[in-house]
Amino acid sequence: MTIIQQMITSVSVGGLYAVLAVGYALIYSVFDFTNFAFGGIMMVSAFSGYFVSNAGFGTIASMIAAIVTGILVSIAVELLAYRPMRKKNAKRLFLMISAMGVNIFLTNLYLSLFGANLRTLPSGFKANTISIMNVQIGTVDIAAFLTSMVALGILTFFLYKTRSGITVRASATDISTAGLMGINVNKVSLIVFIISGTTAAIAGMFFGMKYTVYPGMGAMSTKAFIASVIGGLGSLQGAVLGGFLLGIMETLVAGYISATYRDLFSFGIMIVVLMFMPNGLVGRGDQSKL
Amino acid sequence: MYIASVIVTVCANIISVIGLALLTGYTGMFSLGHAGFMAIGAYGAVLLNRYYAVPYFLALISGGVMAAFVSVIIGYPTLRNKLRGDYFAICMLGFGTVVRLILNNLNNPVINGALGLPGIPKLTSLWSALFIMAILVYFMWNFVNSQYGKNCVAVQQQEVAAEMMGVSLVKTKLLSLVISAFYCGVAGGVLGFWLQYIAPASFSDTRSNDFLATLVTGGTNSITGPFLAAILLTTMLEYLRFLVNWRLVVYGLLYILVMRFRPEGIMGYKEFSLKKTILFFKEFPQNMGKLKGKWVGFWESRNRN
Repeated sequence: MTIIQQMITSVSVGGLYAVLAVGYALIYSVFDFTNFAFGGIMMVSAFSGYFVSNAGFGTIASMIAAIVTGILVSIAVELLAYRPMRKKNAKRLFLMISAMGVNIFLTNLYLSLFGANLRTLPSGFKANTISIMNVQIGTVDIAAFLTSMVALGILTFFLYKTRSGITVRASATDISTAGLMGINVNKVSLIVFIISGTTAAIAGMFFGMKYTVYPGMGAMSTKAFIASVIGGLGSLQGAVLGGFLLGIMETLVAGYISATYRDLFSFGIMIVVLMFMPNGLVGRGDQSKL
Repeated sequence: MYIASVIVTVCANIISVIGLALLTGYTGMFSLGHAGFMAIGAYGAVLLNRYYAVPYFLALISGGVMAAFVSVIIGYPTLRNKLRGDYFAICMLGFGTVVRLILNNLNNPVINGALGLPGIPKLTSLWSALFIMAILVYFMWNFVNSQYGKNCVAVQQQEVAAEMMGVSLVKTKLLSLVISAFYCGVAGGVLGFWLQYIAPASFSDTRSNDFLATLVTGGTNSITGPFLAAILLTTMLEYLRFLVNWRLVVYGLLYILVMRFRPEGIMGYKEFSLKKTILFFKEFPQNMGKLKGKWVGFWESRNRN
């Protein structure tokens, strides 16, 4: 029975990785740089969720607080750091350093303000586990899986069926041509950063419920980046696939081989994938976008 | 003695930051894992010296070579096939963590896990550190001004154009990675033989961040910029030790602000030269006049718009 439990945990972790990886992939495909600030945003929104739930509000309220924080911080970072640099046609390297700066800033600001101790975020569900045919399943796992599936569904609908979604996809193909075609690129950038802030907040809340909330939890987002690399950087389907694959592999490695070397294993997988499939599992070279 | 300790630390930092300057400043690749190479260099040099009685300088060089060797293993898969720099950045981020993870969990008497290696003979002296630093900076100066260094800049500026001109992207990138790893390895050895104690925790991500912050403030495409920034920031840190965590908050802000307002850093694209500085102060009045003229022109053009 343990293997079934392991599989369920891994699928729920995989779902969260997939949500995070989609947030990465979206920004990467539109703006062509890796938003390393993602982990910091995820941590900040998990902290907001923690504070609100500590103040006596329910899970839904803390979730909303987390999402609002995620969106606000994400937009603030875009407006204060990235947009002025893009206006000056800054190199990708400079954007990346700036993003890393945001991440280091947020992480250490929270570390200095609130200390490094681990905080538990109450999950707010009546029972911690429910048992189906002698298999104990964590309610958080189910909620995480369902939420991430719904979020991915809404996102897919938005990107493929609505007008704004089509402008985002057009910008992903070629942002300057999209601008010439009359698409408001600044609006697209806001949409993209709102989506990525939301995904960061959702993942942050569920990681907080499943494990703990602490300033260093943003490091988790590196895994999401690995997931999107495995799937093919810049491709949404690839990000989802990579997220699930990585979640499953990590849980199995932690369960059956060694929990200490789990991170080593994920990085190893990434290097092996890059060795043999440089464009990831479903990526089709530089041109594959969204 | 205290001053000597500061100077040796400055030397070690200069060596690693100069190494990183080639990789990030000249070739344009982003790394937050160079503390990992430092760890490999330090452990390699110390262990060779301890178990095989390898003399000091040879141990340092072998430590550097080990770091360079590892950098090929990590660099080749991530740099080939015109892959984007992002893969490399994330690999390096993971690399630093993984090196520390492995060292922390190897609990045999040789590596000694998280406890580290105590009782290292004090082989680094003030003069040897200065000597090694001077030689390595000299080498780097020559390398950067050679054809290879120009290839690196070409790759940083325009990958496609550089490749059209017959510069091999993979070779250039790999070469600058290997050299920067070697420099960091040597710096690790120098520091290890001075502090007489190394542990995995001394090569944390904070250290990689220190390097990058120094480089970014010093300026890309410059050797003297990072050199001066390393002296400045390292000595400053000695007096700001009480800031512990807030230092990193400031670093984060520093990255953002420097990238936002002066992405080329203090000395960006320029080298510090004594001659020019002396000349600048000799002709100080005229220069001030020129500067003033510039500002007036700037304001006028602003007001006109």
